[in-house]
Amino acid sequence: MNFETFISKFAGIAIEYTKINNKYFLAEASLVELSKKLNCKIEAIGLFLGEEKEDKFMPSPALLEILAKVSDEKVFVNYIGEIDFLYGRDLKKRHITSFTGGSKEGFFKLIQNEHDENIGYGKISKPLDSETGEIANMLDKGDYIRREKPVQHS
Amino acid sequence: MENEFTARYIELGANAEIFRYEDCIRVNPLKITAEALIERLKKKGFQLEKVKFLENGYFVRKARHSISALPEYLHGYFYIQEAASQLPAQVLNPSNEDIVLDACAAPGGKTTQLAVKAKAVIAVESQHNRMPALVNNIERMGMKNIICCNTDARTFEPEIKFNKILVDAPCSGNYISDNKWFGKQKITNFTERAEIQKEILSNVANFLEDNGELVYSTCSLEPEEDEMVVDWAIKELGMKVLDIDCIGDKGISNPFGKELDKQVEKCRRLWPYKTRTQGFFIAKLGLK
Repeated sequence: MNFETFISKFAGIAIEYTKINNKYFLAEASLVELSKKLNCKIEAIGLFLGEEKEDKFMPSPALLEILAKVSDEKVFVNYIGEIDFLYGRDLKKRHITSFTGGSKEGFFKLIQNEHDENIGYGKISKPLDSETGEIANMLDKGDYIRREKPVQHS
Repeated sequence: MENEFTARYIELGANAEIFRYEDCIRVNPLKITAEALIERLKKKGFQLEKVKFLENGYFVRKARHSISALPEYLHGYFYIQEAASQLPAQVLNPSNEDIVLDACAAPGGKTTQLAVKAKAVIAVESQHNRMPALVNNIERMGMKNIICCNTDARTFEPEIKFNKILVDAPCSGNYISDNKWFGKQKITNFTERAEIQKEILSNVANFLEDNGELVYSTCSLEPEEDEMVVDWAIKELGMKVLDIDCIGDKGISNPFGKELDKQVEKCRRLWPYKTRTQGFFIAKLGLK
């Protein structure tokens, strides 16, 4: 799945991006112009949206936040569900308080907490309208901590 | 317990009382108001109290567990940032028209603080292994106006000049933020570090606008890395020290019997035993 296909799973919008190697960024044109005057290796510009790994697009939590503002493909979870999901666990029926959009197995859903804040996304592994509805964790915001080796804060 | 370092502090008119500084966060006003965050965290057993000398800084007075384990941290509603380390960006105080150079950026606390107000921030970091932390923190805090450059501030040669520059220089640190500090340091380290600090200043000063402002800061209490570097910048780079509105003692113009330019007294030195923060040094410089 590429960048555009991934977005289309959640919303009918287009997001203009700037690419550095295999990484996608949301950056204003003026910022891109500025970067050309720096004469150095640019690692990131603007907001990181995700990256391609082995021809597969891996979204960032920041992209999911953007999509959550316009998408109907959402699942709302209780506080226990939020914590479990942020620790990388899958969601069970008892965690889910409501959902909008599709409910069939294989659908991608944005996962929202009690404040309608995005905490990641998942894939329906057991239909949501069944007694045993489940969502497999595809990415959660706990990734911010897991993907980084500790660096001392100053 | 007196050692060769504490003896130096006593000679400078201070002491080296050791204490655990208070945990502090900086609220991210781009994502949430302080009032809303205080209310949310209160329900989870956390109590925040405004730091009087900071714009968006709050001490964590009561905590049920580590504040970094909260979902609000992952949402980028706050950055865990010690109180004194929030001062350099506050002193630089960019406007929404400023393109700011942050010359030593990782892990991104001051970078994301600057980006709240600035038009854009150029975040320069020389160590590649520190880039992921920088990029992650920028994403978590939701900043869209930062460019991250993996390059050395000593050799960085952009085609543009900046009217605001932050040099939060790599330094020897201090005994408050590192409880093994005394065992790790040698006094010769300070002069070695100072050479790197001078090289950074020397290069980035070339890219400061005529009426621009450069904030030089360290979390070191050693005059070799602080007032003596500023004194060198006055004499060798033709810079001047500007007045700042900031807590702390005035800079020391005669450390260990050396007579420095009196302008260094305009710098601010945060002695931990007085400010109850980690040690810090801040100077605002301009071109003559």
